[in-house]
Amino acid sequence: MMVNIDVNGKEYKKDIEPRMLLVSFLRDELNLTGTHIGCDTSNCGACTVLMDGKSIKSCTVLAVQANNHKITTIESDDPKLDVIKQAYVDENGLQCGFCTPGMIMQTFYILENNENADEEYIKKNLRGNLCRCTGYKSILDSIKKAEEKMKGEISVSK
Amino acid sequence: MYLNRFVDGEGKYIDDIKFDNMLYMSIVRSPYAHAKIKNVKGGLNSNELKAYYTGTDHAMREPVLAIDEVSYVGQCIAAVFSENRYESEDLLNSVEVDYEPLDAVSSIDDALKKPAIHKGMKDNILDVEEAGNKFNERDINYDLKVSDTIFMDRVLANPIETRGVVAYYRDGVLHVYVSSQSVHRLKGGLMKSLNLKDNDIIVHHVDTGGAFGLKALLFPEYVIACYAAMKYKKPVKWIETRTEHLQSSHAGRGVRADITLYARNNGKITGLDGTVYLDTGAYFADADLVDMGNVIHEVTGPYFIENAHLTGKYVLTDKALNGYYRGAGKPEASIIMERMIDLLADKLKMDIADIRLENATEKPFKSPLGLDMNYPTKPFLEAALKYFDYYKLSKKENLGISLGVLDEDTAPGESCRIIVKNGKVKVYLGGDVSGQGHELFVQEILGNEFGIEQSLISLDYDDTDILKEGTGTWGSRSGITHGSVLMKTAEVIKNDVIKKFGKYDSDLLLKNEFNEYYYYKIDYNANSVNFNMVSSDINDINSIKIYVYYDLGKVLNLKNVLGSIHGGGLQAIGEVLSETLRYTDDGQLITNNIADAGLLTADKIPQYDIKIVENNSEFPDKAKGIGESTMIGIPSAFARSVELQTGKRVSKFPIDDISLFNKCVE
Ligand code: FES
Ligand code: FES
Repeated sequence: MMVNIDVNGKEYKKDIEPRMLLVSFLRDELNLTGTHIGCDTSNCGACTVLMDGKSIKSCTVLAVQANNHKITTIESDDPKLDVIKQAYVDENGLQCGFCTPGMIMQTFYILENNENADEEYIKKNLRGNLCRCTGYKSILDSIKKAEEKMKGEISVSK
Repeated sequence: MYLNRFVDGEGKYIDDIKFDNMLYMSIVRSPYAHAKIKNVKGGLNSNELKAYYTGTDHAMREPVLAIDEVSYVGQCIAAVFSENRYESEDLLNSVEVDYEPLDAVSSIDDALKKPAIHKGMKDNILDVEEAGNKFNERDINYDLKVSDTIFMDRVLANPIETRGVVAYYRDGVLHVYVSSQSVHRLKGGLMKSLNLKDNDIIVHHVDTGGAFGLKALLFPEYVIACYAAMKYKKPVKWIETRTEHLQSSHAGRGVRADITLYARNNGKITGLDGTVYLDTGAYFADADLVDMGNVIHEVTGPYFIENAHLTGKYVLTDKALNGYYRGAGKPEASIIMERMIDLLADKLKMDIADIRLENATEKPFKSPLGLDMNYPTKPFLEAALKYFDYYKLSKKENLGISLGVLDEDTAPGESCRIIVKNGKVKVYLGGDVSGQGHELFVQEILGNEFGIEQSLISLDYDDTDILKEGTGTWGSRSGITHGSVLMKTAEVIKNDVIKKFGKYDSDLLLKNEFNEYYYYKIDYNANSVNFNMVSSDINDINSIKIYVYYDLGKVLNLKNVLGSIHGGGLQAIGEVLSETLRYTDDGQLITNNIADAGLLTADKIPQYDIKIVENNSEFPDKAKGIGESTMIGIPSAFARSVELQTGKRVSKFPIDDISLFNKCVE
């Protein structure tokens, strides 16, 4: 089947098997290996990407369902994503780094959708992303730091 | 900085390794907990590949592909291969297996009652081991005794990255890329399994997405992939699915201890005896010996108990094999002792801190079970209690406490290579990185030692060629071993500079080329004690507060230490509340996904009050390492906090009571 998927602002036309998952499309067809696979039951969130700005688990979406949609992954050079990445680095929001791309994409989604995301809201919206190393504390700190910075930058630009 | 690589999605994990013409391997696994295999047709099966993967040639070791019989759900029966990931899964249906189901055993208790699961055995006891000196209660001085059974159910490592391997046979050498804590151990294991010589194989380290003890081990799938790579002369990749992980990765804990404490009325414990059972799963694994050894030799922990004896029984069940999980027996030992001492305190109506002070010591001692406790435990406990104002706080909060031994297990040492070239410093370390932030302290230490910019220093992927020896699997203890070997190797390089130029300065270093390998031998194990305290309100999952008082020697990187405490803290809470693998009576796994396995999510972060004291160690880098102090100390302290509120003694982990922390067990 032919699909036409926009990934990080670039269009990819590919002939793929109808059963191919979006995560395989990204990893195997496009070689964008930043999106990870941590389970086969849609529980872990390691595969989180954005589809038209909404966070989805790319292991539960077929590549054909993404046809004519916009996908954003950890490899995107969106400047807002850079702010979040830097916050994860500053706050040591990772250890082994395997959950990290999914966490960052989910963070992106959280902060884009709620300018005043408080701790409660952030934690609730992180429940679909598992991390086995950090105990989430430094991840939470990273998100709060990213939020602060984004707010700071918005008010500066105003 | 190294973290950038990961936040940019540029980590190089095992599933990111790709070669041309690579085959994907999928495994046909047993759907039965116990069955005779009458016939198997198709795929690569044991008619062709008969091999084993244990270091010890035990009679009950597991073949990499089942021979005539399967003994747990998920056991490997045959392997299929295709250049397409999805197709290799399709091919699973092409293998025909004819089973005759047999009765299965799914727990230690069951196994002790039921007939032997393996032919030629009279019961399900695989081995028996003793520690300490047997004593008769008539001969020892005691006023009362308390007995209980402490049970810790199985817990699986569940790193977010599952197991995986890529094997590539090229130019007569088998190259193995693996998500591992120790490429050197895996090399040794693979050489034995496949009868290879030292020069036939190189094992390469790649980024490892969490390990927790599990990835120190060799597994059947790795041997099968290596064999297939040599047979087909093509690279072969196997990536475990989470479902396979739950079924067949070797799980930790699974320990039952029937213990009696003998004590005087003032709380002084004079004797300890009993039996420890380890759920080994269906076959012998090398990890059994380590896990059991750590439990039975370390149970008495920081307390001096004059008479102690334990019998360790290795018990076979129709489940996946036993493996390492964070602490490998050490947390079990501490949980058993700390739960028992609380029971004794209750019986004597003593305060739980007072009874610990009564049994802690001013001087180093060797326990009858063999633990060399070379750290005075009583002054440390006093200091910790004072720091948190325990006696006052315990009137207000539901406090549990725990004093645990951190045995550093640093022997036999570790290797390092430093290469200076083109103005850059590349470092290779024998124990493999699996998320302890080694790169941070490598830069910090060498930046200081060499007097150069940290950005010029990088930690590279090692392999068994660049480092001929290595130990690995240090996990959160790597502060000691790696820090020390790094400083030693740096010293050698600095001496090279001096030899050549008559003096050392950083310009001379960076403008020239140096290459040194060093193996830092450590022939003794130091230890220390650490203190944990937990308070909670059982109606509110967010009320859990973890107090930590650790002596870490010189702290190499505080952020790493805190990360390690926060990560371990949450896993320890999970182990008490919800984490395990559940089986039906006939050995079917009912834990179907990683959420069912009870891992805690971000809305369950506990609160922390952390105090680090820095009493320098004997090692060159003065560090002590944090080890599994959280896993060792938090579970029992937390259990105590819970039982104070429910009035029901906690002796089973996970507690698994739906009335607790209503929000947690949903
Ligand atoms: S890979 Fe686990 S949710 Fe997608
Ligand atoms: S950093 Fe290892 S799983 Fe999150």
